[in-house]
Amino acid sequence: MSQKLLIVDDEPHIRMLIEQTLEELEDEDVDFLTADNGETALEIICTEKPKLVFLDVMMPKMNGMEVCRKVKKELAVDGTYIILLTAKGQELDKQKGLEVGADLYMTKPFDPEALLKKAKEVLGLE
Amino acid sequence: MSKLTLRNFLGKNKDALAAVVTLLEELNAAVFIEDLEGHLLVGKTFDAPAHQYELVAGEELLGYVKGDEKAFIVSKLFSVILAKESEKKKLGNEVLNVYQELNLIFNFSERLAEAIEPGIIAQIALDEARHLIEASAGMVLLQNERKESLELLASFGDLFFGSSEFQNKSGLLFNILKGAQPEIISDFSEIIGEGSSNYPIKELIYAPLKVKQRVMGVIILANDQPVLYTAGHLKLLTTLALQSSSAIDSALLYEKNICEVREREEAMKRIHEVTNKFVPYEFIHALGKEVLTDVKLGDQTEKIVTVLFTDIRDYTTLAEKMTPEENFSFISYINELLGPIVHEFHGFIIQYLGDAIMAIFPGKAMDSVAAAVAIQRAVEIFNSEQVLKKLPAIQVGIGMHTGPLIMGIIGDGHRLAPAMISDTVNTAARIESLTKFYKADILLSEATLQALDNQEDFLFRYLGLVQLKGKKAPTGIFECFSGNKENDLKKKMATLGTFNEGLSFYLNKSFVKAASAFHNVIEIHPDDHTAKLFLSKAAKYISAEVPENWTGVEEMIIK
Repeated sequence: MSQKLLIVDDEPHIRMLIEQTLEELEDEDVDFLTADNGETALEIICTEKPKLVFLDVMMPKMNGMEVCRKVKKELAVDGTYIILLTAKGQELDKQKGLEVGADLYMTKPFDPEALLKKAKEVLGLE
Repeated sequence: MSKLTLRNFLGKNKDALAAVVTLLEELNAAVFIEDLEGHLLVGKTFDAPAHQYELVAGEELLGYVKGDEKAFIVSKLFSVILAKESEKKKLGNEVLNVYQELNLIFNFSERLAEAIEPGIIAQIALDEARHLIEASAGMVLLQNERKESLELLASFGDLFFGSSEFQNKSGLLFNILKGAQPEIISDFSEIIGEGSSNYPIKELIYAPLKVKQRVMGVIILANDQPVLYTAGHLKLLTTLALQSSSAIDSALLYEKNICEVREREEAMKRIHEVTNKFVPYEFIHALGKEVLTDVKLGDQTEKIVTVLFTDIRDYTTLAEKMTPEENFSFISYINELLGPIVHEFHGFIIQYLGDAIMAIFPGKAMDSVAAAVAIQRAVEIFNSEQVLKKLPAIQVGIGMHTGPLIMGIIGDGHRLAPAMISDTVNTAARIESLTKFYKADILLSEATLQALDNQEDFLFRYLGLVQLKGKKAPTGIFECFSGNKENDLKKKMATLGTFNEGLSFYLNKSFVKAASAFHNVIEIHPDDHTAKLFLSKAAKYISAEVPENWTGVEEMIIK
């Protein structure tokens, strides 16, 4: 059965970079989903139940923190691993990120190798 | 970059899949699409299709469109879409590469920012370079300021250039620095021909460390296997060199500054050490200052202190037998002997006055008395050495007085001097001069005696009152004989009662009884010159007429 992975960022080049970084997962039968704002992301998470979500914090409409809080605390969605992405220098978010129930916190610019390694680990593809 | 496959493309692009399906339906085409392995992806398969066209993205074959003649148009259209997808993928991959470099540089800068030592920065640069570019050895070299030699700042693996090469101005390394350009040397055997190295290096890649067009050094990577370094490697190494050179430059500057600051601090410390010798720290401290540079004209403080004077008795006679040089070194020797004693008892020497010393004890009066006793003991040891050397022994008179003292800075805008403005100093000096008169080693004023909280620790004899010049009231004078030679000390102790009686009779004008008492003292202690003095005085008053207003107070008109 195919696994689903969601990439949420309002910046198209970041979405593309993450997709490109993770492209070898396509061969492992992983479906890539994308969203460019928090509202759409929340919708997709609820309907598609992706196993892994890369979630940018700074976004219009609904920010990543809020999406994460809704998913993890209000809706208590099970089996979705959320990685929050924030720009370097905004490390204050780390504590907040953990408070809203994020599973991991990564900074941008991200290390592609580390990102791929983590994705494989979460999806059980090591 | 993973290969573009039809299956992945259609899986990811549901819109494209739907469009192709609609196209086939609209065209009413008996056409199906297979990938290279013959897996059916779109349409319905059937045997022996009449036509077969390739699906190509750029130059890459991805699959086939098979079926009737409409397969041609389907393949053409689909190939256009796939070509776009392939381009997008390539572009994405390039962007990712750029991003990866950016990320590396970002991390590198971050690590650099944390380091302030040139050697550590160079090591970080080498580590990072090694991570990105395959190499069996590497070094960062720095040119010294006069461009005469190179210094190894960091390295890994074998040193493929020996230290002799660091000085060889016509060698490869200096040529590299002169060239000031990043370069790859893939045929290292040619260079070995020039005698540069005996290490088994197959390939070299290097980039100069430049700051504002100035070449300060070089980062070199080498490999003992041929790796075929590329322009991409060179670009990365140049980027690392660029980043680290400014960091190394700042670090060197920082180091230099730190050095200069340290040197300045050292110099200041030395100056303070010297000035402390001219103006004692205690003096500056008493003014509430830490260093001499803080002291200014008019600074002053008043304290109760004990002032102590020492003087070498009959020094003029002694000095006449010496050359000026001998004289100077003799005085220096004595001062070096006595100075530390004053210090030991928390006093400080405010002035050397030829063969005399003026010291101040800002703390307890007992410090001053104890110092005086210790000085006499030291003089005794000095004398025993003198005797061995067949040189004359010396006698030191010590006088002290306790009272208020104003310490301050006097002078004018151009010349400052520490000064003691106090009657206490004059009194102490006069008491010291009384040691000659009384033939005593240590004399102290009544004020000092009263300031002692441990009188019982010392041995005293009361010597009566003295009218010092310029003073209204007479001053009580005491001899302290705790520092005297053992024999002398014992005898003075044995005769102390008789001596005190004698003095008492003397002051009460009972001169016959006084003379008898002092006579008894001298019987036991023939060298008691003080007793002899009082005996002769008493004898004088027995035979001569005693003035009507006689009180026993000695009028001192000297000094």
